[in-house]
Amino acid sequence: MQDDIKARIRKVLGRKLRDIDVGAIADEALLIEYGVGADSVATLELLVALEGEFGVSIDESAVTLAELESVSAMAGFIAKLLERGG
Amino acid sequence: MSETGGVWSLLLRSAGRFPERTAAVEGGRHMTYAGLLRRVRSLGAHLRIKGFGKRDKIGLLLPNSTEFVVSFFAASGIGAVSVPINPAYTEDEIRFYVEHGSLRLLVTSTDLAGVAVKVTEGTGAKVMTVKGDSADWVFDTEALAPEVEEDIAPDDEAVYLYSTGSTGSPKRVGRTHANLTALAFNHTETIGWSEEDRVLFTVPLSHTYGFGNFLGAVKVGASMYMMGHMAGGFKRGEVIEVIERESITVFPAVPFMLGILADTHLQRRVDFSSLRMALSAGAPLTGDVYTKFRDKFGVQPRQLYGSTETGVIAINMSEDVDTRFDSVGRPVANVDVRVVGPDGSERGVDERGEITVRSPSMTTSYYDLPEETARVFKGGYYHTGDIGRVDSDGYIYIEGREKLVINVAGNKVDPAEVEAVLCAHPAVKEAAVVGIADEGGAEVVKAVIVLEGELERAEVVQYLKGRLSGFKIPRVLEFRDEIPRSPTGKVLRERLR
Repeated sequence: MQDDIKARIRKVLGRKLRDIDVGAIADEALLIEYGVGADSVATLELLVALEGEFGVSIDESAVTLAELESVSAMAGFIAKLLERGG
Repeated sequence: MSETGGVWSLLLRSAGRFPERTAAVEGGRHMTYAGLLRRVRSLGAHLRIKGFGKRDKIGLLLPNSTEFVVSFFAASGIGAVSVPINPAYTEDEIRFYVEHGSLRLLVTSTDLAGVAVKVTEGTGAKVMTVKGDSADWVFDTEALAPEVEEDIAPDDEAVYLYSTGSTGSPKRVGRTHANLTALAFNHTETIGWSEEDRVLFTVPLSHTYGFGNFLGAVKVGASMYMMGHMAGGFKRGEVIEVIERESITVFPAVPFMLGILADTHLQRRVDFSSLRMALSAGAPLTGDVYTKFRDKFGVQPRQLYGSTETGVIAINMSEDVDTRFDSVGRPVANVDVRVVGPDGSERGVDERGEITVRSPSMTTSYYDLPEETARVFKGGYYHTGDIGRVDSDGYIYIEGREKLVINVAGNKVDPAEVEAVLCAHPAVKEAAVVGIADEGGAEVVKAVIVLEGELERAEVVQYLKGRLSGFKIPRVLEFRDEIPRSPTGKVLRERLR
């Protein structure tokens, strides 16, 4: 399940990070190095895109940068939301 | 603070007509118009006691808040010039406004006091906190001075706003008391607000769009609900909650906000039945965002068009918004819009050209920029740099722009500013910055960089953080061997996209 979530996260990131080969981003690589989290506008767009992809609601005021810092961290965060029923 | 005292009169009249109506709401704190006026008088008196007065430049480094409103009117009441500054900016950016605005005082909140002290260091500007625990100024009715009046002439400057261009630095736009009272009049005459309205402010009051709507709200005695800044994070959950709980009637937004709200995954039905007007400005409203927002919330967004130089220009008040959603509407009261060709001749119906504006609320120059002033202020009209047309019913359509400015979710980005910061890095030989469309059609910043040393993408992002506001940091970075240029050396921006 985690692998499926990671693949779908990469799909979302691929739409946001046009100049990056997201397939080459390691699971644990810090996404801040690609600009993720550097800009509140882009971060909110990413959260909304994740909501659309996974059918979950994300409270942006409760999200920490640590939960978005890598594909792995993001997958863990999404998995928890899915377990709670979105 | 006399009745004829310029922009002051807007508050004085509303406080006289609606003393017990709610003027401002922030968190759980409600303040009436009478209460607002008392605080303004108190702060005005405090400013006087501290030696500030007519023509002094007072920076307002404050978030959307009751204290922003109090500080603006207090400064206006003593004849000072307010310089609103977005607290979401970086320290370097804020320092630019402190220096360029020749501030004598920077008014701020206690949580921003550290930043304020840093950015004023060596400038001669003082810092005064007016918001937060143990602020320098605290409202005290016993300390209220009876009068802090100052003769204010209509042509006295009331505010400096800054316009983003493509010149490398923001351009200072001085607006007089007459400009601001005209702005409030033109806006409210057209838009039909009243004291019954409850206006939600999420767009920064420190920028022309939020500022203009704020003056309009005060003029009609509406209630202003203050929320944080877009650039500091648009809190969509809180926005939805406040619109429902407080029965908000007017929501000035940018398309980014409307799009985010429309795409938000909701787990329950949301009731926006109180919301009669969702305004969209700062960037073009796409059909996709318009339709999704309308279908989800049952409210048709209406476009508003304005600029820092002129204030509000047009509002789409059409009864048939569905077929005209892409228009910014007709000119507001007392504003004249002409579409002109390169030779200055006026275009006919539906003929494209540059949009020019004449308005009693507009400035007539940029500070210390005579060439730029001469280029855009001609024959009493401001040349917006926007390309558009006017249809047979007088509706304006914006179809492009001549300026290089990049529009990120309603935030304006000057490519020259980003290029200058990039080029200051020792490993960067040259850089060129353009706007490109993301997958949803919204504009984002792209930088093309030529290196003369080793530099990784991540290092570029890290270097830019703290030097530029987040929305100015390029989302797309491309390293090339050279920047494409014409034989005359001009950057061929189309070949950068």
